[in-house]
Amino acid sequence: MNTNKRKRELVTEFSPMIEKPHPMLKLWILVLSVIIAIGLYAFYLQFTQGHQITGMRDNVVWGVYIINFIFFVGLSYSGAFISGILHFFNTPWKSSVTRIVEIITVLSIIVGPIFILLCIGRLDRLYYLFMYPRIQSPITWDIIAIITDLVGCFIYLFLTFVPDFAILRDTPDLKVPNWRKKLYRFLAINYRDTDSQRQRLHKITRIMSKMVIAMAIVAYTVLAWIFSLTLQPGWNSTIFAPDFIFSGLYSGVGVIIIIMFLIRKYFKLEKYIVQSHFVMAGIVLLVLSLLFGYFTFSDYFAKWFSHKPADINLLNTLFGRYFWQFILANYIGVLVPLFILSIKKIRTIKSITFAAVVAVLGLWLNRYLIVVPTLETPYVPIQDTRPEYLHYTATWIEWALSFAGVAAFILFFLLIMRLVPIISISETIQHERGQNSKQDESYNY
Amino acid sequence: MRTKFIQYIVFPLVIGFLFNLSAYAQDTDLKNYRVRFGLTTVKQSDNSRVLEASFIATNKKDRKDRVPVYEADINFYNVTETEDILLGTTKTDKEGTAQLTVPANQAYVTDADGFINLKAVFDGTDGLDSEEAELAVKDVFLELNLKEIDSVKTVILNAYTLDSLNTKIPLEDTEISFTVGGFIKNLPIQKGTVEDGQLQFKFPENISGDKNGNIDVIASIVDSDEFGNVIQKKNINWGTNKIIEVESNKLWSRVAPIWMYIVLSILLLGVWANYAYSIVNLLKMKNEGKELE
Repeated sequence: MNTNKRKRELVTEFSPMIEKPHPMLKLWILVLSVIIAIGLYAFYLQFTQGHQITGMRDNVVWGVYIINFIFFVGLSYSGAFISGILHFFNTPWKSSVTRIVEIITVLSIIVGPIFILLCIGRLDRLYYLFMYPRIQSPITWDIIAIITDLVGCFIYLFLTFVPDFAILRDTPDLKVPNWRKKLYRFLAINYRDTDSQRQRLHKITRIMSKMVIAMAIVAYTVLAWIFSLTLQPGWNSTIFAPDFIFSGLYSGVGVIIIIMFLIRKYFKLEKYIVQSHFVMAGIVLLVLSLLFGYFTFSDYFAKWFSHKPADINLLNTLFGRYFWQFILANYIGVLVPLFILSIKKIRTIKSITFAAVVAVLGLWLNRYLIVVPTLETPYVPIQDTRPEYLHYTATWIEWALSFAGVAAFILFFLLIMRLVPIISISETIQHERGQNSKQDESYNY
Repeated sequence: MRTKFIQYIVFPLVIGFLFNLSAYAQDTDLKNYRVRFGLTTVKQSDNSRVLEASFIATNKKDRKDRVPVYEADINFYNVTETEDILLGTTKTDKEGTAQLTVPANQAYVTDADGFINLKAVFDGTDGLDSEEAELAVKDVFLELNLKEIDSVKTVILNAYTLDSLNTKIPLEDTEISFTVGGFIKNLPIQKGTVEDGQLQFKFPENISGDKNGNIDVIASIVDSDEFGNVIQKKNINWGTNKIIEVESNKLWSRVAPIWMYIVLSILLLGVWANYAYSIVNLLKMKNEGKELE
């Protein structure tokens, strides 16, 4: 195989994404920018007027912000976990999906923590967290874990991008502005794809892939501990950390499938993202739906069986005020993907994507049920009986900022797709190289 | 809504109605009540004697319907052949109980058999008839000795009465209960019969004491026809001294436990060292590429 020729072919194939943006893409960027602008205005209002314009009160101190935070951070950790696994085991079909996973990993760890900042009533005192940290507090551990994970994910993402930056740098025909060419040259860090450089890059990528798996487990465990180390009924559970890890993976795989579907459809990548990728991801989603369902059932069953008054109070709230949300999150969100993915005949790209959408929505709702009804049923009921103090309802400010976060995630994703090919050229070549050598070996026999 | 209606409207109405009915019954049907007037006595460890009169009206048809007679003046007497010596007067409380503590130095007049005859008297009012109850008890003395005999913690009880010449007459065939003082209820440790004025047993091990290991050993005669209730007790350092250590939560202290610093430092150093290693390799890679150029 002529590697250089193949590189040029692939660049030519992916260049429309990099060179000139599609009019639809421009429209998308505009729409997303408007949503972000509305979010920024909502943030301005929240910053100037305080948390009184949100639905959060003394009783329910956390709302959709923390739910988005858990959701996005979980997405990042699951992305890191899956990406690490793909690299570590050198999965044959990884070349088509690995970049999507890596971008999800980094973007969600950037967007997620912004939501936790929105939960802070006095943002002007944020630096206190660093000035006077309490090592005993899981919140401090979480800050350390998120910062460490963010840096690790950036390094890891960069390592996987370097060969493609080098390929783009070495393609003079690429019709991109000069600043982009300079940027490719800078980011390619003199990578020439020599044996020595390739081995070195492979070695550190492999080490980093192990590291990001470990980091994902540790960091998401710490996030779960923020809840489970409190004595709050509904949170104080030993099962919370593994439950968080599996549910994070569940949502992560779901989002990966959805993004794979959208990219495949709108960027005409049917050749690279094939049905087998969806089936593989669907089977992983199936296993995770079983695990997530098992952990969820086990947690609620233990609460119901032990019959502690505070737990029963919480269950009554869940099966009372939040009945339909509970059914959607923990029954529909598990059973529908389970049903679709377990029957081979209906395992199509569309059905798998539909199952992923149901799983992701169910899981977001599951996070809502973990946070809001639990805070509404504390050990000592709040004295004030005003409904808005007892129960939580998100205001438009919170929704605007939530959608702005999602919009920022999509916008950054589209911008990164403008910078580098969404299918890793170097990984594809490496994969084809591996296939050719296998064929050669079989011919020799 | 339905629950609240029942909780706040129906339930109070029903309760109020029931209370009202019973109040009406008490006012109008007094003849249906039988008055019970009783007297008991407890000789305490300091040799003082508590006289207790119980004054309660019980419904003839329903024994559970008991109405205490409170604020009733009760006179307590030491009855002799010639006269009734007034020991004191007290009023019944809300439970219908009147208690009088007669000091240890009170000289009682006994009858020919050595019994102290006691009497509680309610003189009567316009609404209630006069009542009286009598009781005859012998003055018994319990001496509690707690000794370690050959390293064995031993409880020795001597029980006797005094005759007219103050000669000690040992008690026979009298049942004694031994308990140790407890926070809510006393703990029984031994039950036995006094023979020849003495009872002895080995004190059980592993009985918890207070924070200093002190314990109250109590010997008592309960509801005896001859002696009434008699209590004797002694405090001794025989209890197992169980110090309940209140675990101080180190996570709430100003400084974190040392293991936490060590574990976090190792974890962070490990991860960041790995990052540094990756960056160093990237720089080496960059230099290699520069040399090629």
